[in-house]
Amino acid sequence: MPAEMLTASVKTITARDSRPPVAVHVENVSKFYSRRRWFSRSGPGDVRYALQNVNFEIREGEMTGLLGPNGAGKTTLLKSIATLLQVSSGRILVNGHDVEAEPVAARRLIGLVTCDERSFYWRLTGRQNLRFFASLYRIPDKKAADRIALLLDKLGLSQAADVPYHSYSTGMRQKLAIGRGLLAEPRLVLYDEPTRSLDPLSAQNIREWILASRAVSPTTTHLIATNQLHEAEQLCDRVVILNHGSVIADGSIDQIRRQVHSQGRVIHKLTCAGLPADFHISALAQAGLFEVVRDSANAGTVLLRVVTTETGEGLSLVLAEILRKGGSVIRCDTGEVPFEEVFCSLVQGETPARSAS
Amino acid sequence: MKMAWAFFKRDAAIAYSYRAAFLAHLIGNVVMLAMLYYVGKTVGPQSLPALAKYGGNFLAFVLIGVALTDCVTVSLASFGAQVREAQTTGTLEATLMSPVRLSTILVCSSLWNYFLCAIRFSLYLAVGGSIFGISLGRANLTSATVIFILTVLCFMGIGILWAGIVLLMKRGEALMGVGGMVLLMFGGVLFPTSTLPAWIQNLARLVPLNPALEGMRFALLQGYGLKQLQDIVISLSVFSVVLLGAGILGFNAAVQMGRKSGSLTQY
Repeated sequence: MPAEMLTASVKTITARDSRPPVAVHVENVSKFYSRRRWFSRSGPGDVRYALQNVNFEIREGEMTGLLGPNGAGKTTLLKSIATLLQVSSGRILVNGHDVEAEPVAARRLIGLVTCDERSFYWRLTGRQNLRFFASLYRIPDKKAADRIALLLDKLGLSQAADVPYHSYSTGMRQKLAIGRGLLAEPRLVLYDEPTRSLDPLSAQNIREWILASRAVSPTTTHLIATNQLHEAEQLCDRVVILNHGSVIADGSIDQIRRQVHSQGRVIHKLTCAGLPADFHISALAQAGLFEVVRDSANAGTVLLRVVTTETGEGLSLVLAEILRKGGSVIRCDTGEVPFEEVFCSLVQGETPARSAS
Repeated sequence: MKMAWAFFKRDAAIAYSYRAAFLAHLIGNVVMLAMLYYVGKTVGPQSLPALAKYGGNFLAFVLIGVALTDCVTVSLASFGAQVREAQTTGTLEATLMSPVRLSTILVCSSLWNYFLCAIRFSLYLAVGGSIFGISLGRANLTSATVIFILTVLCFMGIGILWAGIVLLMKRGEALMGVGGMVLLMFGGVLFPTSTLPAWIQNLARLVPLNPALEGMRFALLQGYGLKQLQDIVISLSVFSVVLLGAGILGFNAAVQMGRKSGSLTQY
């Protein structure tokens, strides 16, 4: 190998090494279920894919969101990483351990937080539950007692620690589930909809706690399957979006926004007065004006939703037309295109239709 | 050992929380003993020729049959019941996520039931000896212990295999009920199998409860040593190895099938 090529390779390897190591490696993972019919041959129509050729990596310390509509394969993927499901093809490594070949070693590194309230022993107290699960991880008694006390304290459950689990509220149960997930100080925490069925305050409380736990243990990797897009925006460095079992987007939320719209887009909400009832402007993409929709109308005012490039190109066209028609702009609010719209565009292959009022 | 203790503590705490059920269970056992007492009283103290080789006392014969069948029932039903309960209560997934083999979880989960079973077994014998006047003075405890352990291992194999079936099929109580009746009929629990027609006696030899009960009765009532029980011990050992092996293999296969089909935690 010529010396300059060798130097280039060394540089590449050095550059790669500077990144945190890979915590989760998902390679060509497919999972299908075949409907078994006794005494007849099964055809291709009898196979239902839950995951199709999924590939991605998560670096140590990353907080990644796993998004997708219902039935997209989020829970299937999460359970496959957690060794609870066997994939049909491909492989999954957790900190280098193949979950199929070394399930026990992989499970030692994983904490799973589910939203299933039933996953605890209802007749035992919160502390007794955590003690039992700590013993499954072979945590020494003294260390387990300290860790449980610390977690209960941080989760605000100290007062209820010795009360039977069946008397806990939904929020308390969810907090205890998080406590259990973090009990053995896992290197990878998998969350399956951690705030489902929680009221907004409890959900926010849980999210803040997840962020706080990340600050305490920055090398722990988090993978959060959620349907709450704002949760992903608040918590995650990066999101992987699944649809029909395949990855349709992977990157930071900003990167995905750009993936959907090659040029950055912003939304201007213009509150106008004095506009005629038949006021209309057509979109003109070449001029950086992608959408003008009459969103709502109140007494004497009209709300226009205008989508332009990041630089605001195209807005001047709208303003000029408003003035030309004898109207005026009372207020203008500008913001990014909501991630929900980006998500819907990706999943449906188009931006959801908006009807003018 | 520590893990076994954790499971034992968990189940003891749960059982303690259901005090009324615990008490009802205890009353059930006392009623069972009383019933046996009156059956024995009806039959009377005379020696029955069919039971001559066991000492001839019907009450002693039945009491040991019922006591050992109780342990056999625990071995048969406990593992499947634990799996089923974990599926329905939702704790199976959380337990499966721990770095412990499922077979270890299964065995540890049944310790509390075995503990209760051992207490009941001792209670039956103690009450039989002190109240019903059954003589256990000749009992060979070493032989009885060996027979007890082999019997438990033997039926544990079937129980673990059964747990695998429950894992996949979810419901199986009816089939288990049929199995229990077959054991009662062909196992020699309430009457000696020698009273059955010859061809059924041959079939009954395939039921491991037969040599187990025979061995236990000889050990407790006639004081037979291990040398005298050699054939029975060998027979139970073979049953144990084959059934335990089949149970573990079958259960592991069921777990793999459950992971593949995604039905492990469904109920």
